[in-house]
Amino acid sequence: MSTKGIGARLTRKEDGRYMRGRGNFVGDMAMSGLKEVAFLRSPVAHAKIEGIEIPDAIRARVFHNADMKGVRPMRPAASLPGFKQSDFPALAADKVRYVGEMIAACVADTRAEAEDLVEQIIVDFDELPVLANIVDAQKPGATLIHEEWGDNVFVVTSRDDDIDAVAKTAPVKVTRTYDMARQTMNPMEGAGCLAYWDERMGQLVLYSSTQAPHLIRTGLAEHLELEQRQVRVIAPDVGGGFGYKCIMQPEELAVAWLAIKLGHPVRWVQDRREHLVACANSRQHHYQVTAYADEKGRILATDVEVTVDVGAYSVWPFTAVLEASMAGGNLAGPYGLEVCRYKTFSVATNKPPFIPYRGVARAGVCFATELTVDAIAREIGREPHEVRFENLVTPDMMPYTNILNKHLDSGDYPECLRRAVDGIGLEAVRERQAKGEEDGRMVGVGIGMFTEQTAHGTSVFSGFGIPLIPGFEQAKCRVTPDGGLEIYIGVHSHGQGMETTMAQVANEILGIDPDLITVVHGDTGSSPYSTGSYASRAAVMAGGAISRTCKVLAERLGIIGAHLLQCGHHEVEVRDGKVVGPRGEVSIADVAKIWYLNPDQLPDDADPGGLEATGGYKPKVDTGSFTYSAHAAVVAVDVEIGAVELLDYVVVEDCGTMINPLVVEGQTFGGTAQGIGTGLYEESPYDDNGQPLASTFMDYIMPGATEVPDIRMVHMETPSPYTDHGIKGAGETAAIAPAAAIANAVNDALRGLGAEINETPMSPRRVLAALAGARKAAE
Amino acid sequence: MKKTVNLTINGRSVTAEVEPRTHLADFLRDDQRLTGTHLGCEHGVCGACTVIMDGEPVRSCINFAVACDGTDVRTIEDFDDDELMAHLRQAFTEEHGLQCGYCTPGMLIMARDIIARLPDADESRIRLELSGNLCRCTGYVGIVRAIRRVLAERKEVASV
Ligand code: FES
Ligand code: FES
Repeated sequence: MSTKGIGARLTRKEDGRYMRGRGNFVGDMAMSGLKEVAFLRSPVAHAKIEGIEIPDAIRARVFHNADMKGVRPMRPAASLPGFKQSDFPALAADKVRYVGEMIAACVADTRAEAEDLVEQIIVDFDELPVLANIVDAQKPGATLIHEEWGDNVFVVTSRDDDIDAVAKTAPVKVTRTYDMARQTMNPMEGAGCLAYWDERMGQLVLYSSTQAPHLIRTGLAEHLELEQRQVRVIAPDVGGGFGYKCIMQPEELAVAWLAIKLGHPVRWVQDRREHLVACANSRQHHYQVTAYADEKGRILATDVEVTVDVGAYSVWPFTAVLEASMAGGNLAGPYGLEVCRYKTFSVATNKPPFIPYRGVARAGVCFATELTVDAIAREIGREPHEVRFENLVTPDMMPYTNILNKHLDSGDYPECLRRAVDGIGLEAVRERQAKGEEDGRMVGVGIGMFTEQTAHGTSVFSGFGIPLIPGFEQAKCRVTPDGGLEIYIGVHSHGQGMETTMAQVANEILGIDPDLITVVHGDTGSSPYSTGSYASRAAVMAGGAISRTCKVLAERLGIIGAHLLQCGHHEVEVRDGKVVGPRGEVSIADVAKIWYLNPDQLPDDADPGGLEATGGYKPKVDTGSFTYSAHAAVVAVDVEIGAVELLDYVVVEDCGTMINPLVVEGQTFGGTAQGIGTGLYEESPYDDNGQPLASTFMDYIMPGATEVPDIRMVHMETPSPYTDHGIKGAGETAAIAPAAAIANAVNDALRGLGAEINETPMSPRRVLAALAGARKAAE
Repeated sequence: MKKTVNLTINGRSVTAEVEPRTHLADFLRDDQRLTGTHLGCEHGVCGACTVIMDGEPVRSCINFAVACDGTDVRTIEDFDDDELMAHLRQAFTEEHGLQCGYCTPGMLIMARDIIARLPDADESRIRLELSGNLCRCTGYVGIVRAIRRVLAERKEVASV
């Protein structure tokens, strides 16, 4: 095996430019004639727009909905029965439905000057009652966010199972309510885009900080009524995405339209306030769970209601349905659940639209199910991990299709749990608890487990019937005349290190040194179509496509090489950057030189396709390869002030064959840190008027270096039977379990006080409220 | 009304006319085209905009350019030939201290300052010193390990 191929702990090729401050993000670009855009955003959560007053002196530089004739509102469909579509215009038409919704676009030489224009616009609002939460939004007679709907529910999904029989006889019954706070995703680079019309190509060019350039191209063309060939989208360096940048932003649509309208380049760069107030909302789930179990803790049935506060609109293309329906579909997690009844509600409120965030829906599901497992354990007096062992799907059952139709492909879930229990030193923690802490704090230990469906494709997404369904993935690979390699892929890296990992996959097949390989990604003008980097799909899908395509090139190199080596082409092998025959070898560089520059020396049977090929790939089974993991946390809770400190954190994860363990660890550490934010710190609260209460990093607490411990990681590696090289996705996974593991640890710590916390973030206020509640109940 | 400001940027003396409301980061990025200084919040919390001013790390987003008259400013672009920064960059890449790279210039400037100022810093001190720099990608694990590694390696060299 190559030392730089799949499995190598290679340092990243992309690091150099970032460390020298030479990255190229949208905000860094310069272009002659470039003007900046600022948006007037609604200061109220729900109102009719009665009029917009724009001073004559600035009228030519201000644009609102009525100016954008011919631009379609985003109105993504979904095939789930009863789903209601919403019209989401780039700039509000006659009504605003959340604070921060865009009403007008202002164009000036600098952002500051554009903001000066924003201040001069006067909007006449007729305010409407505000629905700031799911309870108010579902009340009979509630005001309607979309009048034509008749209620405020985007869609209801459900699964019926005969639960009554179990309910009657089950010895153990546990009922809980769980709440996840609303969050924003906060990549350190917010969104941003720059657009201009290229006269020569007759093409709109949009540079955008996006995870999915092809998807944006399709979206822009459809909504601007252009042909797709008239749109080119390029993602330059992208400073994090985490899901937020996998949808078409209303700002992208507005900026693209402005560029066509004005005939000069325009750019919008999101500031943090815009991000926190108006964009990238996620995570806010509400659960009501009843679980039935036997005396050992084996779960016999669960009965769950999930309500997601999806905000005012469906985003394009993923709509508002993904979150709640995925929540329903993932309720079994890693367990062999046999009976499950659920109902999910996607409820519209006067808040920014919900966008799929790293570990889509699973963070909520994991929180609800894993806290329920621990509640059962406390109820029957067993160790939580023992209850988990009773329920986990075991290796001999693999591949295993669970009752919710998730096809778990491979792995050893109990072993994963065992390693987490060992890794965190459960026994030592129990001893420590028995001794007590000198400072009076309460120590607790908790575990969170999950499975994450990665690279799920056509059959899964077609079930939702959304506008864009992932299919085959393709890669274009070209050997250069000097024996280097260029790889063109349609997915885009926004921190995952694909310029390195994708080169490693090619190296595995051709042996060309990764230093001689360039990965070109993020440009619809050069790469094959791809729906983009989301659903933890890039490593599996683009990795597979590159592998297949490099095999085609190896074959063609072999034919030419064999001719040069004067042997049969079945006698040669391509490895280490060479074509190796029985009696000699020739470098890929030499073969390439002949193909490009000395075709007079080519054999008659050389493939006319040459040293450039596009190949496609889809795993054998497209329902996803399942990565799984156990997170274990030790916490110390200060019961006086409610503060929770993480003392230790262990992640055991199996994401199949690792292309690069260094990168897998990085994804895991970063995801875990985000999950720690979910569990302990991050929250976008709204008041009754729908006003956001966290609009800066002073009130939206992001975990810093003092909040995240030195996370320890244990790898397991069970190749997927369905994907090339056995790769499974790893990008999103680690963000899923931390809130659950930490909550279980906090509840373990507070067990003796009878307190239990079932919501995020577990801020001091909430911890103290849980303690006060327990005291009151005891009285 | 624009105002004249004189300052040294990356060893170069610069005279410029700037709007009083323009902060140093925008001035560096837009006027001087030094785009390695990033903006993550523009309200002084995230540290992405950290530069060195008169030898100390400062947030360029909460300093007005006009208030920087007479100062000596160094941005990430000025450290290409810096031996300590080279050491740190090597450690950052080996410990995977960056992913999207957006926080990285600010992180490196802060990390270099920690190493120069606190040769005996332990892990918890490093974390405390980094608490003004947010990274959304790495969970800080690789960043902290990189700084610890450089501190340890420099100690080793010093004791030989
Ligand atoms: S941009 Fe200056 S501290 Fe965040
Ligand atoms: S590497 Fe992305 S924010 Fe730090």
